[in-house]
Amino acid sequence: MRRWYKYLDPVTLLLWLLLTGVGLTAIYSATHGEAQEFLLESVQFNFERQSMWLGICCGAMIVILLTPLRLLVQLTPWIYTATIVLLLVALLVGREVSGARSWVVIGPFGFQSSELAKIGAVLAIAMTLSVRMPSQVLPKGAILLAVTLLLLPAALIILQNDTGTALVFVALIPVMLFWGGLSLSAIALLASPVIVAYLTILHLPTAIGFALLLTFAFYFGTRSLGWTLSAGAVAGSTIGLSSFALYQVLHPHQVARILSFANPEAVEYRSGVGFHLLQSKAAIGSGGLFGQGFMQGNQTQGRYIPEQSTDFIFSVIGEEWGLAGSLVVLFLFAGLIIRLIWIASQINHPYGSLVAAGTAGIILIHVCINVGMVLGLLPVIGIPLPFLSYGGSALLTISVLIALALNMYARRAEFSIYYI
Amino acid sequence: MTKTRYIIFLSFVALATGLLCLQLLRLQIIEQDDAVEVARGNALRTNRIIPARGAIYDRHGTLLVHNEPTYIVTLTPRYFNPDRASLLAKLLGVEDSVVIARLEEAKKWSSFRPSPSFPNVTFEHYSRILENIFRLPGVGQKVSQKRRYLTNTRAAHALGYISEITREELNSNDRYTSEALYRQGDILGKTGVERGYETYLRGIPGSARRIVNVHGLEIRSYRDGQEDVPPRNVYDIHLALDAGVQALAESLLVNKRGAVVALDPADGSIIALVSAPDFHPNIFVQHMDSDAWHELNTSAFKPLYNRATMNRMPPGSTWKPFMALMALSEGLVSESGPESTVYCPGYHPLGRGQFFRCLGVHGHQDVINAIRNSCNTFFFEMARRMDLVAFKQYANAFGFGVTAPMDLFEQTPGLIPDSAYFDARYPAWGVGTTMNLGIGQGDMGVTPLQLARYAAAIGNGGTLHAPHLVAYLENVITGERLESPGISEPIRVPIAADYFDIVREGMRQVMVHGSGQWSQIPGIPTGGKTGTAQAPGNMRDHSVFIMFAPYVNPRIAVAVQCENAGSGSICAAPIASLLAERYLKGALPNSNSVRLRRQRAENAVSFPLLDSADQE
Repeated sequence: MRRWYKYLDPVTLLLWLLLTGVGLTAIYSATHGEAQEFLLESVQFNFERQSMWLGICCGAMIVILLTPLRLLVQLTPWIYTATIVLLLVALLVGREVSGARSWVVIGPFGFQSSELAKIGAVLAIAMTLSVRMPSQVLPKGAILLAVTLLLLPAALIILQNDTGTALVFVALIPVMLFWGGLSLSAIALLASPVIVAYLTILHLPTAIGFALLLTFAFYFGTRSLGWTLSAGAVAGSTIGLSSFALYQVLHPHQVARILSFANPEAVEYRSGVGFHLLQSKAAIGSGGLFGQGFMQGNQTQGRYIPEQSTDFIFSVIGEEWGLAGSLVVLFLFAGLIIRLIWIASQINHPYGSLVAAGTAGIILIHVCINVGMVLGLLPVIGIPLPFLSYGGSALLTISVLIALALNMYARRAEFSIYYI
Repeated sequence: MTKTRYIIFLSFVALATGLLCLQLLRLQIIEQDDAVEVARGNALRTNRIIPARGAIYDRHGTLLVHNEPTYIVTLTPRYFNPDRASLLAKLLGVEDSVVIARLEEAKKWSSFRPSPSFPNVTFEHYSRILENIFRLPGVGQKVSQKRRYLTNTRAAHALGYISEITREELNSNDRYTSEALYRQGDILGKTGVERGYETYLRGIPGSARRIVNVHGLEIRSYRDGQEDVPPRNVYDIHLALDAGVQALAESLLVNKRGAVVALDPADGSIIALVSAPDFHPNIFVQHMDSDAWHELNTSAFKPLYNRATMNRMPPGSTWKPFMALMALSEGLVSESGPESTVYCPGYHPLGRGQFFRCLGVHGHQDVINAIRNSCNTFFFEMARRMDLVAFKQYANAFGFGVTAPMDLFEQTPGLIPDSAYFDARYPAWGVGTTMNLGIGQGDMGVTPLQLARYAAAIGNGGTLHAPHLVAYLENVITGERLESPGISEPIRVPIAADYFDIVREGMRQVMVHGSGQWSQIPGIPTGGKTGTAQAPGNMRDHSVFIMFAPYVNPRIAVAVQCENAGSGSICAAPIASLLAERYLKGALPNSNSVRLRRQRAENAVSFPLLDSADQE
C-alpha cells in the first residue's frame, strides 16, 4: 500500500504555490519602489511580513497534512467552538483595525478572528451535513443546524463591524447545502435573493422582471404551487426589503457605498467611495493588453489606489500585467477552485467531500466578490482576494483549508474506517 | 456525489470566471483610453521650467543686471524631526521659535511637500545646512535665481523692477500674461524695460513631465524625459543706455526733483533717462513687506513716479527755438531784410509794459539775436502773429502734445492748448491769453522726454526719431540677434533745413554769449537754450535746459528739468553740459570747467525738496 503522502495532489499544491508567488510579487510592487517611503509604516513592510506569514503557513500546512483523519474528525466540534470563542474574545477585548474589532493579539502576533472562523465553520458544517447516509435526503434538523452554525459566526462578525466577512459566511450557506444534497429547487430559492437584490440596486424594473421570470421558472420546473408561491414571495420580499433598506433604513453614506459602484464617476461619490473605484478602474484600464510592466504602473507606483496591497491588490495585477496577467491570475483561481471541486467529487465520504467543496466555495466567494468589486461590478465590500491580498490570517486560513482538503483527499480511503 | 451537482458547480465557476473576464476585456481593451486619461490626469504632472531671466547690458556692453543664485532651505513637515528644530535654528542662525513657526506655516500648506520656509539664506548658512543635512530629515535645499544689479547705476525707472504677479495681472488679458505662461507666484516685470521686454527677458518656459504619487510628490520622470521641452527664446537685452552718463546724471540729481533725458540725435536711442528722486531696484529683490511697499507708494518724494515721461511742466525759454522755427516756416518773420527784426523796448507794447515784459532792452532783434538774448518781446510778437491752429500743428510735429512712439513707459502727452481748450477754460480769451505761449509759459506742458526729442531734432536738422532704450536683443541660446523691435520710422519735421541752420546758430550763440556761456564744454562747440519756467504761487522757478553736442553732427541731445531749482543756467544747464561732456569724452576730465559746473549743479537744490508740484 502506498503511503498517504503519495496521494497528495500535486496540481493543487502547484496552483497554491503559483498564486502565493503572484501575491508576493503584487504586494512587493504595491509597497516598494520610488514611493515606498511615503507609505504608512503599517503598510511599508507588508511584503516582508507576508513572506514571514508564508513561512508560518507552510508550517501549519505540514502539521495539518500530518494530522490523522480520526483526530481531525474528533477535533472538529472543538475547533468550531474555539473559533467562536476567539470571535467573542476579539469582540470583547480585541483590537480595532480600520473599523473592525476582529483582531486578537497574542504577543507580537495579531490575527483576525473572523478569518480563522472560516476554518471552524467549514469543518463544522461538513460534519453536520455528513450525517446523511449516501443517497438519502438531508434531514431538516441537519439543515437547520448547519444554517445556525454559519449564521452564528456571521452575526458575531457583523457585531465586530465587518459586514463583508459576514457576507462570506452567509454566501457559504447555499454552497454547503448544495454540495450537501439539498434539493436544487431549494438551492435556487436560497440563491435567488442575492441576484434579485443585486438587480434591485442596479435597476429596479429589471429586478421585478427577473422576479416574475423566476416565479414562472419555479412553476414550470416543479409544477408545485408551494414552490412557486415561495419563489414569488422570496423574490418579491427581497425587492421590497432591499428598496426599503436603501431608501428608508440605511444611512446615506451606507447607501452611497452600495450604489456608487454602478456610477463611480458621479459627483457625489467622486471624493468618497467612488474614488476607490475610479482609481482602481483607471489602473486596470491603463494596463491594456500586456500591462505597463512590473513596478511600472503609474497608478500603482503613485499609490493612487487606496488599500492597494490588500483589498484592491487585483488592480496592481491589472495595471502592471495587463489583460494577459489578469486572465492568468483568474485562470489560476478557476483552476484551483475546479481542482478542489474535483477533489471533492473524488472523496466519497460526505465529510471530506464537503470540506473540499467548502474550501472551493470560500475561494470562489472571495474571488467573485473581490474581483467583482475591483472591476466595478459589485459594491465596495471589503474582503481580501485569497493569496494576493496582504493579510496573514487570510493566507493562513485559506492555506489551512487547502491543507485539510488535501489531507482528506490523500487519506480518502481511510474514511470507511472512521465512520462518523 | 452526483455527477449533476459536480457539473453545476463547475459551470457556476466557469460562468463567474467568464463574467469577470468579460469585464476585464471591457475595462482593459474597450475602455482603455478613458482609463489612461484618468490615470494620466492623476499621476502625470507637467512642471514648468522657468529659464533664468535675460541679462541687461548697457551701450558699451557693461553688464548692468543679471541673476544670482538665491539659496532656499525647505521643510517637509511629515519627515522633519521636531527634536532637531534647535539644531536647524543654530545652523541658520535664527531663534528656535522661528523654526517652529515656519514649520507650522509649512504644515498648513502641505505635510508632504517641501515648503520654501527659509528663502534667501546666505551661502555660508546654506553650506552649513548641506554639511549637516543627513542629521536633518525633512530639511531640503533648493537654488533659485534673483536679480542682481552690478553697477552703481540705479537706472530705476529705465530698467524698472520685477515683482510677483498680482491676481489682477494674472486675470487680465494683457498681452504679456495671456499666453498662460504665468502662474501664481511668478515674477513679472512691472515697469521700465523689465516690463516692456518681459516676453524676451522671460522667454518661453520649458516643461518637464513627472510621475507623481497620490501625495503629489514626484517620483520619477515620465518616459525618461523624452517629452520634456527645454525653455527657449530668452533674450539678453543690450540697452542704448550709457551706464556712466546715467550714473553721473543720477548723482547730479541728488537733492532735486527733476528728470534728465539724453538721446542720440542720429537714431533716437536713449543714452540716459533719470527721474529723481528714485529708488534702488534692489529693494524689490528681497521679499518686500507691505509696509515698505506702502512707504514707496505714498512717500511725498514719489520715487515711483517717472518724471522723465510723466512730468508736465512749461518749457520756459527752451520753447523759443520752436517759436523761431515756426515763425520762419510760417513767414511770421523773415530771415533777412526789413521784416526780419522786431524792436524790443524792454516790453511788448500790447500789455502797456505791464504784462509782457522782457528781461532787457534789446532793441532791434532778428531771430538769431532773439534766441541768443532770449528776448521775450520778439517771441511775444511771434505769438501775437501766429495762428493757434498752426501752433498746435507745429508743436505736434515736434512731438509735443502727443506721446512718443515708444511702448516702454507710461507717458503723458503733455498739453499744447488749442482754441477749444481756451474756450473751455477762459471763455473771454484773446490774443493776450495766447501770447505767453510764445515764451513757453502759461497753459502748456511738456515732458523731459519731449524736450530731449525736440533738442535732438533741432540738432540733426529736423528729423524726429522714435526714442528707444533698447539697442538690440540677443538670444541666450542661439545667439540670434534681434534689432530693437517696434521702433517706428523717423519723421521729418515739415520745416526747411535753412531755418534749422538759423535756429541752430542762435543756440550756438546762447552757449557762447548768452545764458549758456557758463556751461560750455571746453573744446566742443554746442547748441543750447536755457529755460526758467514760472512755478505757480511763490515757488522758485523750474530750471530747464536743452542742448545738443557737438554743434556739427551732434551725437547727444540732452533735456533737463529741475523743479523749483531756480533759473535754467543755475541748475539744468551745468547738469546737461556735464552729461554731454561725459558722453562725448568718455570720462569727465579733471578741469576747472568741470569742477565749476559740477559745483554749481551740486549746489542747486529743489526747494522745497518734498513738495512735488505737478503743473496742472
